[in-house]
Amino acid sequence: MKLLYFFIFTTVALVTFQGCTTKEATPDLNHQQVKTEITTSDMLQHSIPDNQEAEDQTDGFEDEFSAQETDIASDPLSGYNKVMTSFNDTFFVYLLNPIAKGYAYIIPEPLRIGISNAFQNIQFPIRFVNNLLQGKFQNSSDELERFIINSTVGVAGLMDVATNHMTTPIPAHDEDFGQTLGHYGVGSGFHIVLPFFGPSNVRDIVGLSADAYISPLVNIRGMENYKIPDNFDQSIGIVAVQFINKTSLHLGEYESLKEDAIDLYSFFRDTYEQKRASDIEE
Amino acid sequence: MFKKIIILLLLSIVSLYAIEEQSIQKVVDTKVRQVLDILKDKTLSHTQKDTKNIRIIDDIFDYDIMSQISLGKRWKSLSKNEKTQFTKAFEKKIKHSYLDKLRLYNNQQVIIKELKKVKSNRITLETQIIGVDDTYKVIYLFYKNKQNNQWYIYDVELVGVSIIQTYRKQFSEFLNTKSVKQLIESL
Repeated sequence: MKLLYFFIFTTVALVTFQGCTTKEATPDLNHQQVKTEITTSDMLQHSIPDNQEAEDQTDGFEDEFSAQETDIASDPLSGYNKVMTSFNDTFFVYLLNPIAKGYAYIIPEPLRIGISNAFQNIQFPIRFVNNLLQGKFQNSSDELERFIINSTVGVAGLMDVATNHMTTPIPAHDEDFGQTLGHYGVGSGFHIVLPFFGPSNVRDIVGLSADAYISPLVNIRGMENYKIPDNFDQSIGIVAVQFINKTSLHLGEYESLKEDAIDLYSFFRDTYEQKRASDIEE
Repeated sequence: MFKKIIILLLLSIVSLYAIEEQSIQKVVDTKVRQVLDILKDKTLSHTQKDTKNIRIIDDIFDYDIMSQISLGKRWKSLSKNEKTQFTKAFEKKIKHSYLDKLRLYNNQQVIIKELKKVKSNRITLETQIIGVDDTYKVIYLFYKNKQNNQWYIYDVELVGVSIIQTYRKQFSEFLNTKSVKQLIESL
């Protein structure tokens, strides 16, 4: 009797496990090495599986990753871009970052966050218009609501009341004209590194120029009533404050990011293009 | 009696597989919380924090697969020794980079948002980090290991930028002009 139970048990077990393997394995696979679960320290001693199965898995990934690869086949400005990247890096490391550190030391963080909020708030027209242009009407109306609430209750945008103090927070929807162009299928064009502003491309430079028209923070002759700065020098001043303030809220991040780079230029170029592609997709 | 045990045993095997998938959200949530708690703990030194955190994240990150993907087609041309060396170096690099980033976001709040099953063997988990002046989207990408039916992270997307994709790009450019040995050294 015992023997019978044992027999039933082994048969059932075998059938079950057999079922498991055939379900998971690919048809051409009859042998399967059991890969031990990867854990902490034996990870290092663990030999890399080079059986058929592992190869199959990588192939799946291979397709997945090559499909997502951003196309940077043509990079005609790479020479200039590399020089500009090291210029920007030097500018950041030796000028902007030390200034931002000093600034962060003097100005308490809540005030810096307030200033950052106010900058965000005043640039509402860019987000409003570009959401409209992309047919994202709900986002536009969210932006309008945010602007009204934050400009009034939030004291000229210093407080982000719409996000932090509402029972149902109204989210911000960052859009710019570069994204609008991308939304309608305009390709990025070749990569250009701008002085001070960093990585960009043809499409996004067109976008930046268009956004400058509707941004209240950039002076344009003949539009003095709408614009805050009256001349170019004032525009520069505003941008400088914005840069320093932003950097002061993100100290250490640039250095940390840089450590991931093997080659600084190609690293920033790829991350920028990937980020933009994902922004446009949203 | 024996029959009951057998049935129970079989049932538990089946449900073991099922739980693994459903528990991803919970596991990540606990792990994130543990890591944040460790980062906030002022009694620990930097190295202590790092060792503790590595122990927490290690069993859900698959560094083997990450190394393979990051080299792409070149992976197959590596010798067994090179593969081991590369994986070792890359694992160290990834851990260091991840912990470094975590340290920057130590006082911040993390929200686990949604789990999406992209394919039968791929799951993405969206999380959100609330920073001082901005929120960041972080997506963990999981795959199902065919051998043990467990789910592992093979890539992390920070604000739309895939970590592994970025390394892949850089490695392939590096290897255009230099050797695998040099690459391992530069890591």
